[in-house]
Amino acid sequence: MTEATHFGKEGAFRLAGDLFRAREHSTEVEARPISDPKPRPTSFNPPAPKRYYLYLMAPAIAILAFISLYPFFWLIVLSLQDVDIGGGEWVGFKNYARLLQDPRFKDGWILLLQYSAMCLGLQLTIGMILAVIVNNSKYEKFLVTALLMPMMMAPAVAGLLWLFLYNGTFGWYHWIFQSIGLLDSASILATPGTALYGIVLVDVWQWTPLITLIALAGLKRVPRDQLEANMVDGASPMRNFFAITLPNLYPVLLIAVLLRFMDNFRFIDHILVLTGGGPGSATKILPVYLFEVAFKFFKLGRGAAIALTLLIVTIVLGMILVRVFDKPKSGRT
Amino acid sequence: MSVRVPRRCGTHGVTTIWKGPVMATITIKNVWKYYGDTAAVKHLDITCPDGSFVSILGPSGCGKSSTMRMLAGLEHISSGDIFFDDLRINDLAPKDRDVAMVFENYALYPHKSVFENIANPLRLRKTEEKAIKERVEAAARLLEIDHLLDRRPHELSGGQKQRVAIGRAIVRQPKLFLFDEPIAHLDAKLRAHMRGEIKHLQRELGTTMIYVTHDQLEALSMADYIAVMHDGELQQWGTPSEIFNHPVNAWVAGFVGEPAMNFLTCDVIGEGDSVSLRHRNFDIPLLPQQVRQLNGGAAAGRARMGVRPDALDIALERPGGPSITGEIFVNELLGGDMLVEVALADTRVRVKTTPEFTGKPGQTCHLTVNRDKWHVFDTTDGHAYF
Repeated sequence: MTEATHFGKEGAFRLAGDLFRAREHSTEVEARPISDPKPRPTSFNPPAPKRYYLYLMAPAIAILAFISLYPFFWLIVLSLQDVDIGGGEWVGFKNYARLLQDPRFKDGWILLLQYSAMCLGLQLTIGMILAVIVNNSKYEKFLVTALLMPMMMAPAVAGLLWLFLYNGTFGWYHWIFQSIGLLDSASILATPGTALYGIVLVDVWQWTPLITLIALAGLKRVPRDQLEANMVDGASPMRNFFAITLPNLYPVLLIAVLLRFMDNFRFIDHILVLTGGGPGSATKILPVYLFEVAFKFFKLGRGAAIALTLLIVTIVLGMILVRVFDKPKSGRT
Repeated sequence: MSVRVPRRCGTHGVTTIWKGPVMATITIKNVWKYYGDTAAVKHLDITCPDGSFVSILGPSGCGKSSTMRMLAGLEHISSGDIFFDDLRINDLAPKDRDVAMVFENYALYPHKSVFENIANPLRLRKTEEKAIKERVEAAARLLEIDHLLDRRPHELSGGQKQRVAIGRAIVRQPKLFLFDEPIAHLDAKLRAHMRGEIKHLQRELGTTMIYVTHDQLEALSMADYIAVMHDGELQQWGTPSEIFNHPVNAWVAGFVGEPAMNFLTCDVIGEGDSVSLRHRNFDIPLLPQQVRQLNGGAAAGRARMGVRPDALDIALERPGGPSITGEIFVNELLGGDMLVEVALADTRVRVKTTPEFTGKPGQTCHLTVNRDKWHVFDTTDGHAYF
């Protein structure tokens, strides 16, 4: 493709490099016919040397490097050291080797995956059901406002609120659990077997509305004629939902799942407020363990190593999710 | 775009899909449809005979789509009844009505292949896999889309999507076909081709079909019966030739036919057997039986005369009989015909003539009315005297 046709076809969105090259081939560019439907917008973007654009971007790149790239590389360096107050000692991959033998690291992973799977499963199911109910309701505006309330609360505040509700002496929810026979006198958070469920419940309470909102937006754009065609073809409402509505929701649900699963890997406010990882290690999911190692025992090197593994797994899981859900199936007819 | 002429359309294609015709008489009895306080369909009464091709014709907002959606079960029937043979279907869910519908926007499932799109109605009825394959392939052959079965809808052209949508409708044997403006979005040439194909298909399958359209040409060329609707009310029910030649009111007369009918408001002059229509440009007597049909109507002494462009003859010399004198306004050559617009004192009329006509704009000309083919309408309610 010559430069001339290239510019004839492309509109205003050209890369700086193209502009730069265009100057070298300026005779060709000017040889375009006058009747070209999309003339090149020269007035607001004069050609300039490449380094000019680099100068313009430099402040942004510098800030980005300072707040994002520098800490990231420092994290990698930290993870290869045994850091204590006053300085670090280079230990190579010893931190990683120790992690592999650390049972609490393994348990942290298992608990994290359990916690994350329970949260996601419940939030997706309840969130979708709520979205369908809200979408078919006369009181949609009111319901959406009501649903937004848990999300607007700071997670630490929500944790405190639920700490009262779960309290073994005067907690209202505790009283309900007890009266329907789910619990005996100990609070849900005080028993190793149930503490994680207690935490999951709080997370579901606070973040299901997010899934509902995202799914609601998706439901609004499910093509009505496809639903009707499927009904005439012989589908029951339930069948219609799974055959037409759900596939149309995949792209938006993907965003919701990605957001929530990454949040589960990062946010530990609820756990720190409610149990602090206890009782024993019953709710010590990996990020909580990381917090403990790095900021309670001040083993910054090992903490950095845990953080890096967490980061890598998050990225890999995220990519798998995108692959699975984001097939090109949303082509409109 | 080249239009593909079907290699093989017909009986052997159909017989492999279906065992024999399943038909139903569709009876719509005094049906009303309200959206809030607005009545979209008013006291509609239609009976579609077994195996007939019925077209519901009207402009947008006339209630034709609401009628179709009530038939399919996608809208609640506000009052009245719909029967398939003797079965009242008011309260049946769409899936239990045994109808197949083709939507205006095709409504294909984008995440399914063409094969799965067509197979969908069979899958929902738990047909066995072997039968599904046979019938989908037979339907695809009939519609000449058998080479597209593995594609996704977004890889198809408009005409191909249309065929897939029709394939999905014919793959099982419903009691009734509902076609909702199925070819409105195709280009003109393909539309003309699909008109013939759909008509042929309906003959082959022998199933009752209700076809909604706003295009009077589609209705006239395809249907056995046409129901003309306007403002939610049925204006006229009849065969295409009845609708075209004997419109019951001025609205139907003006809506059906292209180029549209000319209307002239005239005075009704005379008594007894000699009654004539008088206008500033003409004074033409009615035929004897037309005087009886007028039967003292047009009480105020006024009436609207309606005459189609092809019921007028144009000449430069004054003919022997009664004629209308005007001035040529513009000539339009339409290939095999010429359309001449003639300016009268207060309006213009269009006349269809042959391309050999030599008149030039500005010349005086004389129009002769074929009085067997003209119509007289009431000026107040628009009903036709004849």
